[in-house]
Amino acid sequence: MTIQIRKGKRATEPQCLGSQRSLNSEDLLFPNQTGDSKAAVYFQLSNGRFRPPPAHRLIAHHIVDTIAPIFFRVSRTMWLPLRLTLLLLFLLLSPRALLRSGSAAVVSGEEEEFHEELLLKPLPDRKVLAHFHFHSIAPPSKSNGRHHHLFPKAISQLVQKFRVKEMELSFTQGRWNYERWGGFDPISSNNAKPPGVELWAVFDVPEDQVDAYWKNLTNSLSGLFCASINFLESSTMYSAPKWSFRITPGRLRYGTLPREAVCTENLTPWLKLLPCRDKAGLAALLDRPSIYKGFYHSQRLYLTSNASVPAETVSGISLEQTLTVVLQPNSPSSSSIHSGESNFQPSWSLSSIFGRKISGKCVLAQSSIVYLQLEKSIFSEQKDNMDNGPNSLASEGFAGGSGFEMSLDPDIVIEEENQSQHKGSSVLYGFWVEKYNESQPFDLGLKWKYPVFWSSRQAPLHASRFLMGSGNERGAIAILFKSANSADSSSGSRHVSDGCELQVDVFQVVPWYIKVYYHSLQIFVDDEAKPIGDFVHKIQVSPSKDKTSPGMMEMLLKLPCDVRSAALTLEFDKGFLHIDEYPPDANQGYDIPSAVISFPSFHSVMHLLSNDSIRKSPLLSRFQEKNRVQSYTEVLLVPLTTPDFSMPYNVITITCTVFALFFGSLLNVLRRRVGEEERYLKAGKKKGWLRVLLSRLLAKLRGKPMEEPDQPSSESAPLIGKKLVLKVILVAVLAVAWQFYST
Amino acid sequence: MAEIAESPSTTEHPLGTVGASRSKASSSALRESDVDPKTMRTTTPGLKRLFLTFSVLLSFLLGFPFLWKTVEIYRSPLPFGDMDALSKQIESSPLQFPCHFQSVFLNFDSRSSGGILDPRELRSSILSEMTKLTSQTLERQCGSCGENFTLSVVVDSGDRACRQSDERHGNGLTPNCSYKCGALGALNLGDGEAVDEALRSALDESCSDYGGKLYTVVVVNGDGAGEGPKALVGKHRHGWISGRELDAEAMIGRMAEMFVKIFMNGGREDGAIHGEFMPVGADGRVVLSFSLLNANPDDWFYDWDFQKLDDTLLNPVIEALKPIANISVESQVLYHTPKSSFSYWDESLGSYIFSTKDLPFFVNSNEWHLDTSVAAGGRTKILQFVVYVPSANECPLSLQLPSGEISKTNGFISPMWGGVMVWNPQSCIKYSGSGPPARLLMHPDDLHRIFEVLMGQLRQLFGLKSDSIYVGAADVLSRQHTCFNLHSSGTTLGSLSRLVQSLPRMIIKDEIGKQVKFSLEAAQLAQTNASVGLYEASAASSRQARSLAEDAFFHPSIMSVSYFSFEHCFAVYSPFFLPVSLHVLLAALREWRRYKQEKAKYVRWKVKQVKAA
Repeated sequence: MTIQIRKGKRATEPQCLGSQRSLNSEDLLFPNQTGDSKAAVYFQLSNGRFRPPPAHRLIAHHIVDTIAPIFFRVSRTMWLPLRLTLLLLFLLLSPRALLRSGSAAVVSGEEEEFHEELLLKPLPDRKVLAHFHFHSIAPPSKSNGRHHHLFPKAISQLVQKFRVKEMELSFTQGRWNYERWGGFDPISSNNAKPPGVELWAVFDVPEDQVDAYWKNLTNSLSGLFCASINFLESSTMYSAPKWSFRITPGRLRYGTLPREAVCTENLTPWLKLLPCRDKAGLAALLDRPSIYKGFYHSQRLYLTSNASVPAETVSGISLEQTLTVVLQPNSPSSSSIHSGESNFQPSWSLSSIFGRKISGKCVLAQSSIVYLQLEKSIFSEQKDNMDNGPNSLASEGFAGGSGFEMSLDPDIVIEEENQSQHKGSSVLYGFWVEKYNESQPFDLGLKWKYPVFWSSRQAPLHASRFLMGSGNERGAIAILFKSANSADSSSGSRHVSDGCELQVDVFQVVPWYIKVYYHSLQIFVDDEAKPIGDFVHKIQVSPSKDKTSPGMMEMLLKLPCDVRSAALTLEFDKGFLHIDEYPPDANQGYDIPSAVISFPSFHSVMHLLSNDSIRKSPLLSRFQEKNRVQSYTEVLLVPLTTPDFSMPYNVITITCTVFALFFGSLLNVLRRRVGEEERYLKAGKKKGWLRVLLSRLLAKLRGKPMEEPDQPSSESAPLIGKKLVLKVILVAVLAVAWQFYST
Repeated sequence: MAEIAESPSTTEHPLGTVGASRSKASSSALRESDVDPKTMRTTTPGLKRLFLTFSVLLSFLLGFPFLWKTVEIYRSPLPFGDMDALSKQIESSPLQFPCHFQSVFLNFDSRSSGGILDPRELRSSILSEMTKLTSQTLERQCGSCGENFTLSVVVDSGDRACRQSDERHGNGLTPNCSYKCGALGALNLGDGEAVDEALRSALDESCSDYGGKLYTVVVVNGDGAGEGPKALVGKHRHGWISGRELDAEAMIGRMAEMFVKIFMNGGREDGAIHGEFMPVGADGRVVLSFSLLNANPDDWFYDWDFQKLDDTLLNPVIEALKPIANISVESQVLYHTPKSSFSYWDESLGSYIFSTKDLPFFVNSNEWHLDTSVAAGGRTKILQFVVYVPSANECPLSLQLPSGEISKTNGFISPMWGGVMVWNPQSCIKYSGSGPPARLLMHPDDLHRIFEVLMGQLRQLFGLKSDSIYVGAADVLSRQHTCFNLHSSGTTLGSLSRLVQSLPRMIIKDEIGKQVKFSLEAAQLAQTNASVGLYEASAASSRQARSLAEDAFFHPSIMSVSYFSFEHCFAVYSPFFLPVSLHVLLAALREWRRYKQEKAKYVRWKVKQVKAA
């Protein structure tokens, strides 16, 4: 089975990797996993495109042999009636059947569902967050999951074939700015992802088969998403976290590719899983240039299947596809940013951000809602400023009296219920997209009237990671935690007291060529070195094995609540790679994947006033789930010693030249007639001064008196010698000039 | 290197350092002053240096093959001869299976046909008729029975007599496999199903697995049937001709036709898809992927209850095709999938028309994400069946045949890919209510009709002509599948052998060698099995031969071009061998030249000496 899948992957890979990063990559994605190259050729033929696919050029021999008859028939009779190539069916049907009506009935009952939602949220630093949330649900069916109406067939087959219980795949470009864009809300905990590709999956197979299933899954996903996920197949690239990454125990595998470039060729297959793709509905907003222009772009696929049911009936699958982008609205008054009014939030509309409008919902979607999320603190500020009665936030928001104005009236206003504190809670305005159509497109705009300030809610600690040390030999990794609420230490659910503890989970994977010395772990709390045992509550380390497995560290820290800063350092040595293990562009450096920092005692939950519309909305119900607050650190770039890759050839050439010289001179010495030569030398009339000089030198070295050559010969020599000297000087001057001017 | 080819010029040292003492002894006859050192010498020229340089040169030359051997890349020895032989053999002589036919004449009274029916006579006349038919219809079709068939005739005249032609012992069948006299009682000829069942029980088919299948045609003379002779083919390996007052002689032609056209040939005629394009994967699996495409769901969109269709209608077909392929079914509904060809409005026909010329462009590979199945392995064949629901601005959409008529099925197939069918909703009026259009479910009758067309397409893709898939036809398909597999493995191995031979610096791993070997063995086995008549075993080993051959051909190490190319070799070794070989060659040349020169001098001196003497 493994082989087959690999073959499938290989067949598709050239198409994907060879694809230029054009904005419209759809035409590259056609025969996605045809392991059978012949089938691909056939398809091309049936499309009437007769260019042979380049990936199969090598096997042209074979193909010509096997399909030559049909190929030539097609190409020859292309312009003739296609009777020969595309055989038509002339099955006779009874006229009754032709006349009979296609009477239809409305479908109801337990069906596959699809929901689409979009959350818009202005960010404190004048950017806008757009969070697309598509949810497809396939109910458990007795049809063995073979027949689908809305749910993507590919995903369902993937889940069945690889017994995936839970899986998350994310493609991210850019880094989530935890300090400005928030680190506590559900979006940052769930949708802020490390750069590149991150994949983790939980399998429903015995422990000893998990690795095999993981490898097959990576290859399949690689074909499905046109990405090099198949590099995660190698055991040096993935790890099996036990408890720090997810609470789900057991058959979990986790791998990241920090350097994977994410672009439109990854988005297109992702969109393919949506029933309406980007043809209609909210996904129609996804204008490639505008979303890839943004500051942060993360497309994510999360699926769960309740695999506990017996194998006969296939489990239901819930597929959640989210796309999170942070964009900078280019407001017309952007020039005023530099002229003192920098605190003015830019006004924006959907069409100004994305360059498109929503012309109605995707007809297949059960619900199609756009939410606008605003921080409540804005209103409190308004209240202070305007001294309005705090009666209704909703009317206040759009009635025109407050600091902002929405171009459309919301259909629903949902307030976050947060009893304990004011800060961080927010208001959601919901808009039903189904009310809008092509003649009246949905184009939500937000206009600010007054400068407003607010800050996003932060995770208890800011985590950042950096490298220490210099040189190509060794270094150290440091993870630094800084208290986010140093300014307002009263916030947070816990009050500062002696018994209060802040739990921090650290999960870090380090590739094997970074040889981390785990014994060198040091911990600094409030800039003071402290014994490890005081703070590290639980630690699990699996050291790396060369070329076999990466090093993994899971750690549970318990820090006092009033900690200002904490730092962990680990020393490492840089390893050497074999020459063929170097990636292309090895001089760029090597990535250490992001560490995952989570806070088990903090949960990012939105307490919304429960309502029917909320319960139906997958996005909001997702927000209401209890999730650990989680953040990712930076990806580190470690420069490793890279050899000069042409060195083997240089060495070969030099050694060979030396050997050749040695050999040649040895041979010469062996067949030389010394006596004869000496005689000749003595009698030599044409001996130049150089040779004389040389022989003199030789004689000096030997310590013997030089036999003076005959006088006449030395007399005739100077004439030639002068010329030669002139020539040599000329050449030398030329060489110097060349050297001088050419550089 | 100093130029020292010139001979010594001074008389003080007239001799080379070599052999100086000897020269003194030998130069007694002539005085030394007579010797002109430029043209002659008194001593024999030394061989030491010549020997040295030549031994170096020789050792280099000798060492070269060893070097060549060490830099040689590994190529597993492939049996090229066998591979070519197999492909040639399969090309030249298509596989033929033995078939056994049996004709039973039931209730033929000797009186009615005017004389006693002699089975032997009947046999020879049927045989001659059959050979006539085979020679005219078949051009040695692969997977057919060819001339490799036997026939036995039984005349069962009720309870009185049962005569058989005596050919049974020769055809490899165990005696109890053939028709037992009196096994068939009275048949209710009006009820086809009942007759079929009765024949099945009477003709025990379980034993026909060995030595080829036995096909029986029963001619029943009796009441209950219609007036004229009526020929029917049962679900299993038999058929019957029934009628009242039948003439045995007249039935001969009919019977021969039935044997040849139906049991030998699967009821197919020329012009159908060639048997080589059997859409079965090398692993013997086929995935039928059904897709319902809604071109524009904003106008309307349909859904189907494929599950029901699968259970009720598709399953029997899959069961029937089980001997040939392991078929699995999946379905999906796709939206926003416009076709990529254009259609135009035709007033007279009252519909939008796309013609046969547009068919190559109909399938829109950019928008139709039909998706090859993840569930299918690398070798599984996927057949796509697409039902296209046009959008409102191209509804109704019809296919115009070259003759100008509208196609009744509104569909077409593409061999080895699948089939497309256009289904027009009943009314092409665009939904204009408020809110988005609702999902519509296809009426079961419509679904049934679509299914009929799709099954027709499936039969066409498999190359079957008849309306239903019965065991006899499946046998034919199985034979053709075997033949196709063998053919494919033969061509694959043939081209592999050509490829490997044309690229001498390609690494051939042992694995490939093994695969080729096993593939050849499996092909041999399939051929021997086929010749004995073991259909299933033959099909299995032919499948194995094909998949192994393709494994070998598509082996990843073959796909990648060898890194250790000749250029690389040259670049690595030339810095050493180029200068050294220059040295060695030049030295050898010079020494040789000098030796000749010196030798000539010596000879000259010798001559002079002799003259002087």
